[in-house]
Formats: sequence, structure tokens, C-alpha cells
Amino acid sequence: MSADVIRFAGVCKRYPMGDTLVNALVDATFTIREGDFVSILGPSGSGKSTLMHLLGFLDSPTSGEILFEDRPIAEISADQRARIRAEKIGFVFQAFNLLPRMDVFTNTRLPLTYHPKPPADAAARIWNALELVDMKNRAHHRPGQLSGGQRQRVAIARALVNEPRILLADEPTGNLDSRTAATILDLFTELNRQGRTIVLVTHDPKIAAYSRRQIHVMDGRIVRVEA
Amino acid sequence: MRGRKRERVEAQEMNLFSGIINGLGEIWAHKLRSFLTMLCVMLGVMSMVVTTGFVEGMFSSWSTSLDEQGGVEKISGMPRGVEKRQEPFRVLSPGLTLEDEQALRRLLPDLAHISPELDVTVTFQRRGKSHTGRLQGVMNDVFAINRYDVESGRKFVDLDLADRADVIVLGTEVADALFEKNEPVVGAWIEVDRRPMRVIGVLKHYESFYDDFNVLHWKNKIAFVPVTTLQYKLKPGSTLSWLNMKAVDLSKVGELVDAATNILGHRHRGIRDFEVKTNEERLASFSRTKASFYFFAAGIAGISLLVSGIGIMNLMLASINERVREIGIRKALGATGRNIFSQFVAEAVALSLFGGILGVGVAVGVIMTLKATLPPGLSPLLSGSAFVVGFTFSVVVGIIAGIYPAMQASKLDPIDALRYE
Ligand SMILES: Nc1ncnc2c1ncn2[C@@H]1O[C@H](COP(=O)(O)OP(=O)(O)O)[C@@H](O)[C@H]1O
Ligand SMILES: [Mg+2]
Repeated sequence: MSADVIRFAGVCKRYPMGDTLVNALVDATFTIREGDFVSILGPSGSGKSTLMHLLGFLDSPTSGEILFEDRPIAEISADQRARIRAEKIGFVFQAFNLLPRMDVFTNTRLPLTYHPKPPADAAARIWNALELVDMKNRAHHRPGQLSGGQRQRVAIARALVNEPRILLADEPTGNLDSRTAATILDLFTELNRQGRTIVLVTHDPKIAAYSRRQIHVMDGRIVRVEA
Repeated sequence: MRGRKRERVEAQEMNLFSGIINGLGEIWAHKLRSFLTMLCVMLGVMSMVVTTGFVEGMFSSWSTSLDEQGGVEKISGMPRGVEKRQEPFRVLSPGLTLEDEQALRRLLPDLAHISPELDVTVTFQRRGKSHTGRLQGVMNDVFAINRYDVESGRKFVDLDLADRADVIVLGTEVADALFEKNEPVVGAWIEVDRRPMRVIGVLKHYESFYDDFNVLHWKNKIAFVPVTTLQYKLKPGSTLSWLNMKAVDLSKVGELVDAATNILGHRHRGIRDFEVKTNEERLASFSRTKASFYFFAAGIAGISLLVSGIGIMNLMLASINERVREIGIRKALGATGRNIFSQFVAEAVALSLFGGILGVGVAVGVIMTLKATLPPGLSPLLSGSAFVVGFTFSVVVGIIAGIYPAMQASKLDPIDALRYE
């Protein structure tokens, strides 16, 4: 049995919306293990992004408990969480979230600048990551000079550059044509084969099919967790 | 453990450096806004460097002239008006005389020199040439106290003083006014207020250029005769203009001032028609003046830097408002509160440092221009300390003005920041 990376126990997330509360996530309980390749599948508005933000402890649950490597994250300070993110988590956001005034290379480097133990071969790693997503020849372009698909690939390179223990990707192929999407998904499969833990958020069952197991979400509830 | 700590420190240093580089990028991205803010810093630093330049310029010409007037060991006895209550019987005092000089010389062994001086304006004439200028009746001590050197010829001898001899030592400007370039001066006869006198010496020519202005020019305008000659033959019945004394040692100055005051008091039958002053007092009073000028300069600079500090803070707050999303992204990618904090402080510092460099540059230009246009005694000095101070100040302002906005930025919740649209 491999080690638990992240464990959700009865996690709820409610957002205030005017006078009422929106239940973005209700009573989520599941475990992501070392070497998992999990997809979180559900229609738009079902709570997938909320779930992903909680997985990377960018957000705190309204109730319930989240454990990272068996430690309750409620007990981890904000700075410590930031360091864990820099060291062990790779994020691919649905909205890419590249910094518009920096070129592709500098954007890709960001997680390394915040890494508690920056690797000596930082530059080589950045080029490597850009090579993986085939963006090496655009290293000195600004995000504004790239197409949506290219930005998404840069976002993926950035998520991989710190060689994270767990990769959290929110609709990482949403802006890619099916051929590029397939390449990226093959890349994820290969990374997972090498031992990397991956959580892939998508609304598309065809994409979810690349993963080893699926977690189905509907209206903030987890309706099915494949073993 | 140790190695890990060092790695972290290095990472932070890297971060500060790249923070400043990033900061320059941000400045460039908001050219106009940043330019206006930097203009504030620039004007602040400039006004500071220029005002300090003025104060230092004044002080430097002052201390040069103070040195040439005998330095801090010098003590002067001067005549002065008496208080109202002593007015009716002030005639009891004989005034400042050569007898005072003799008494002081005899009674105060700690005096290295004592120079009685009688300062008058006379007309020098020779072969149809005429020159009006200062003449001082002196003893040889004047050369030591006020730092005069005889370039050619000789000083006075005791016999000159005892005989009230008609001999004169000329400053170069007086000599130039009365003699042609190649005429022998020493040994020639001239008339001083129609009285024939033989030139026995010519002083060294003094030059110390402060810009184009010879601050020592007054030393070349002087002429000396034995004090006895002046007092008994040229201006009979006059009392001394002042008595200059020099202590053997700075530590004796206080004692000597007290003793001289006492002795002169007795000799003047208690009439306080004199005062005993030291150069040290002048130095102290100048230092006070200088301090108050610095205070004034610091006030001006402080206000300008406060203004620029407010400008920077305002700019940083505006910039943070626009960059909430960026902050969220950085935090999501692993930036700690402290990383964000130092990034924004570094940006503020980059801004003010840049402004400070420009300010120092403009100040150099302003000082050069003022030096070229202002009368020499007034012109400012380009001093290294003003640069260092201006520079440091701009960095400090950047840090202080950056702290509050940077704290605001570092406290942003990443998820709020990411959702911010
Ligand atoms: N900050 C927020 N404030 C209010 N409601 C929110 C907020 N974030 C998400 N929601 C709501 O929570 C639900 C889940 O959203 P989200 O997690 O983005 O879904 P998905 O990524 O599956 O499309 C939606 O109904 C959305 O409107
Ligand atoms: Mg979503």
C-alpha cells in the first residue's frame, strides 16, 4: 500500500452569495495516494475548481479536514504551506494565470524562485520543461504574444519545473486542439508511469479516460469514487 | 542544517536582486506614473545635495580664512564700548596700549606670541604713483600669529621698534601699485601719508583659489610698520586697534583668556572697554551657525523626501491594487508572505534609488551652474558626503514608504487574489 499524499475527510466549502450560502463542495471524502493518476470529472459549476484549490490548500475548507502527507493542513502555517507548494505541488490553472509582463522563460522559472532549496541546475530544468511542452522556441515571448493553446502549454511547463510530487491540473487541455491535447495527456501518462502523482480536473469523460481512476462530482457532491 | 540555512539566505538574496530587476520592469511598465514619482524623489535628493553643498561651501571658505588668521590657539583683545553705568568715568581707562602688551608679555609665560596691532588707512606715494590702503603698526609677532612670511628683505629688529624707525614691509599688491615690474623694491623709499619710509621687506604673495576667487587676497593688500612708529609718529596719540595673542597650546587658551581679562581689567582700572575673544569662540559660533544651516537644509530635504515618500507609497498602493492577481499567482506558486513583502519593498527601493541617482546627477549639474554664476564666496561645494547622504536617504525613503504597501500585499489571501477579476 503506497503512502497517502492528500486525504479529504468530510470536507465542505460554502461561499456566501448575497444572503444565502452556495454549497460549492459538500462532504467530500477521498484519498489521493502516491503514484495515483486521478481525474475529477463533472459538469461545469459542479465544484471541481473549488476542489482543486482545496487540494493545493490555496483555500481552506468551511468544515472537515484535509491532510497533506498525514498532517492536518489546519496546523500548517501559511508560510509553511507556501513552501510546500513551491517544493511539492505543481499547479495548472484553468485560466493559465501567467504573469503578463514576463516572458515565457521567466514565467516558467517562478516556482523555482520560491523553492526553499533552489536546484543548482535551474536553467537546465526550465529548458527541459519548455522542451516537454514544445515551447522552447517561444522562451522569450510574452504570454500576450501566444495563442491560448501555447499559454496552456507554458502553464504546464511551469507546473512541472519544480518536479512536484503532485501535479494538480484544472482543465489542462481545455484550450488545445485534440492532437496537442493527446500529446499533453500522453505526457501526463508518462510522468505518472515515472511515479508522479497527478490530479486531472475535467468535464470531458474522454479526457478522464486517460487517468487510472475517476472521481465524479455533481452539484458539489462526490457521487462516485473509483477505487 | 547549516548548509540549508545558507541556501535559504542565498535564495532570499537572489530574490531581493531579482526583486529589484522586476521592480525596474514595473517602473518601465508604468512609465509616466513612475516618472512622476521619481521626479519627487529626484527633487528631494537634489535639494538636499544642493543645500548641503551650500553649507559645506560656506564652511570651507570660513575655515580656510580662520586658519590663515591664526587658528584656534589665537586670543584677541579688542576695544569695545563700555556699559552705560561706566560711561561717565570711562576716561579713567587709558584704552588698549603698548603698556598692556608689555604687562601681558611679562606676566603670561604661556603666551607664545603677543602682537599689538594698530590698523589705519593711509595713502602710499612714490614717483607720482599713489595707492590708498591699510597700514598696520605691528611687532614681529604678527608674522607668526597671522602667518605672514617675508619673501625678500627682512622683518623688523628690536632697534626699529625702539627707534620708531621709518621702515616698512609691503604686501605684494601694495608693492605692485607703487613699483614697476623690474624695479628693486627692497631698499627703495616711499611716502606714507607724506612721510618718507624705507622699504625693508616684501611679503610673500598669497594665493588660495576657491574657484576663481583668491580667498587670501586680503593678505596681499597689507603693509606693516613698527607699531611705535605708527603710534608716535604717523598717528600720534592713537590707541591699539587690538592685541593678538597666541597660546603655546590649545589647552592653555581658557586659562589665558581669564588671566588676560584680569590683567587688562586691572590696567584699565576696572573699566570694561575691552573684550577678550578667541578664535575658538568664532569656531564654535560658526559650528553653531553651520549646525543651524544643516538643520535648515535637513528640514528642506526632509520635507521633499517626505513628499516623495508619500508619492512612492501612493504609487505602490495603486500598483498593488492592480496586481492582486499577480500576487495570488505568486503565492499559489509558492511565494511566502515574506517573499511578496520583499518583492514590493524592492520595487519601492528600485523606484527611489533610481530617483535618487537622477537627483544626484541633476544636483551635480545645478551645483556646476551655480558655481559658474554665483559670486565665489557664496558658491556651493560638491562634496562626497552629500552624495552618500542623498543616496542613503533615497534608499531609506524607499524602504519606509514601501513597508506599508508591501505588508498589505503580503497579507493577501491567495484565493481572493486569484479570483480577483
Ligand atoms: N468565490 C466564490 N464565491 C461565490 N461562489 C463561488 C465562488 N467560487 C465558486 N463559487 C461557486 O461554487 C460552485 C462551484 O464552482 P467551481 O468550483 O468553479 O466549479 P467548476 O470548476 O466545476 O466549474 C459554482 O456554483 C460557483 O458559482
Ligand atoms: Mg472550473
